Amino acid sequence: MAPDNGLFAQQGQYKPTAKGGCIDVHHHLSPPRFGGGGGRGAGGGRGGGLGAWTPQQSIEQMDKFGIGVAILSLTQSGDIIYDNTEKGRAAVRTVNDFGAKCMQDYPKRFGFFASIPFPDVQGSLKEIAYAYDMLKCDGISIYTNDQQGHWPGDPHLEPIWEELGRRKAILYMHPWVPACCNNLNYGASSFMNEIDFETTRAVTSFITNGVLFRHPELRLITAHSGGTLPVLAGRMKDRYPADKNQYIPNGLLAEIKKLYYDCAHATYKMPWAALTSLVPPTQYLFGTDYSPEPIETTVNEIPGLKLSRDVLEMMERKNAERLFPRFKM
Amino acid sequence: MKDNSGTSRREVLKRLGTAGAVAILGGSSAFTQEKVNKVNVRGGAIDVHHHHQPPSLGPGAGGRGGGGPWTPEKTLAQMEKFGISVAILSMTQMGDILYTGTEAGRTAVRTGNDYGAKLMQQHPRQFGLFGGVPLPDIEGTLKEIEYCYDTLKVDGIGIYSNDNKGRWPGDKYFEPMWQELNRRNAIVYMHPLAPLCCRSLDYGPAASMVEFDFDVTRAVASIVVNGVMFRYPNIRFITVHSGGTVPMLAGRMKDRVPNGSQKYLPNGLYAELRKWYYDIAHAAFPWPMAALMKFMPHDHILFGTDYSPEPIESTVNELPGLDLSKDFMQAMGRGNTERLFPRFKA
Repeated sequence: MAPDNGLFAQQGQYKPTAKGGCIDVHHHLSPPRFGGGGGRGAGGGRGGGLGAWTPQQSIEQMDKFGIGVAILSLTQSGDIIYDNTEKGRAAVRTVNDFGAKCMQDYPKRFGFFASIPFPDVQGSLKEIAYAYDMLKCDGISIYTNDQQGHWPGDPHLEPIWEELGRRKAILYMHPWVPACCNNLNYGASSFMNEIDFETTRAVTSFITNGVLFRHPELRLITAHSGGTLPVLAGRMKDRYPADKNQYIPNGLLAEIKKLYYDCAHATYKMPWAALTSLVPPTQYLFGTDYSPEPIETTVNEIPGLKLSRDVLEMMERKNAERLFPRFKM
Repeated sequence: MKDNSGTSRREVLKRLGTAGAVAILGGSSAFTQEKVNKVNVRGGAIDVHHHHQPPSLGPGAGGRGGGGPWTPEKTLAQMEKFGISVAILSMTQMGDILYTGTEAGRTAVRTGNDYGAKLMQQHPRQFGLFGGVPLPDIEGTLKEIEYCYDTLKVDGIGIYSNDNKGRWPGDKYFEPMWQELNRRNAIVYMHPLAPLCCRSLDYGPAASMVEFDFDVTRAVASIVVNGVMFRYPNIRFITVHSGGTVPMLAGRMKDRVPNGSQKYLPNGLYAELRKWYYDIAHAAFPWPMAALMKFMPHDHILFGTDYSPEPIESTVNELPGLDLSKDFMQAMGRGNTERLFPRFKA
């Protein structure tokens, strides 16, 4: 059997169906010199060539693939921004000011999910106020864990969810491999599987701790077609802790179906089959994970999925327009 | 990905899509249903994921399917009820008892194996056995493999997805075990065990909710990227729960194969992952089945139940909704498994 290795030969094949092009909710920025170069947060990646990320580079790629808008968020940098020190808070501020500048420079092309300095609750509350009120961000970006062994449902983070619930925030949750699992010695880097396990852990944490029940205004976006969530949903519902049933009045599946799922680097037939058999099309969002991933690894798979025009338009743009009305055509 | 079984398979998938939609609309009423969903397979189904529990190793989990300690009589009654003619027995979640690397662990493994072999003798047409091994003790494991095959006449060897000491099966440490299993053309049945790193993560649920399935994926990755299948092609590997998260992640995994591992994957990662066999125990829900059937050759999908930690209903009640073809059911329920274990040919 021929494996899917011909990706890059098909370049340029994909043309968005939605008028105005795609809205890419999974697209990473990296401020200049952030992370000291070469670190996990240095940008570049499989999609970026060797240099540091620049807004111009993203705009070129977006033009090439018919992406109208990219909502920027910081890539893998939990070790820098979640260190719970003044340094981490300053780094978060650097990221947010840089993101806001990208938006100002390209107001019709870039949106922005601002970062917050987990696990520092007071610092996060301050940054939320700054990001919304001063920078006019489109939502808040968090990693799946706080780098100190807590997942988002942990009670100490509750004031953050209260504040974001009050602001009817859109929460973009990006995976970050937790301390437990970053150096497991089984032969593969943690980017091969661990990162996708994490999305499932964090969603579970949100639900079993009642965060989404107490703050139903929060809209949560997850990455990579839900990581491993769709295939595990059945076993999860049968293993759901009985003493947390009050948080899922309509069952676990109903909660999973409320989340939003970007398709970045997970438009392969297998994850897509699992996702679409579980979650309604109103919840699919377009994403690419550029520049850690080349845009090709997402878009080259889309024609093979044989999606209807309606579903394509919803996934590429219309669902995102509902979340971010300022980008409505 | 290329479709590898032509029109009939596409047909199945199309119908599976519809079934998925129906299942969503209808909700899941598995346990309130009165009707017994007997598995419709000529000769009866072969269950490759079915756990025995030696009484001397404690009362056992019982689990969601058990209602009290496990007994062979209970299992035989359940098999009869659901149209299962053969169960290949293996030990359930007992890593802390079996994988201690001590004399106590070796003794417990031997107890489990002798007990399983006794059940096989008493019910030769109904029970098979995957013999357990006392990892992380490699010498003890080699001895037990010999005992299992030569004295007990097991059908294969059961291992957990990690050795309970922070090692996964592709670690060089296990090389002598793989050499020996390759020499014996073994069938290896790999069952999850939550690893030390991930048993007590404080995010809400017990490790059994999702960590088991993650560890299946780790162990499969470990075996594949470290070249175990490349060096020991005679071993046939079975794992559980529709592959845990392997089919869902296969695409992202292939793009993340470590450079040093390419030499073990002459035909790419997919080709190696497709050599595995996956049982559908407690993972016959439309969503994992959709990913599994897109990814795997259909002759590598096997029937399993995870009884008694799981009630048999949680697998078989999902099957009618999948609207699988008769041929597929026959192959998954028995034909594919008969090829691995010819002694159970009907």
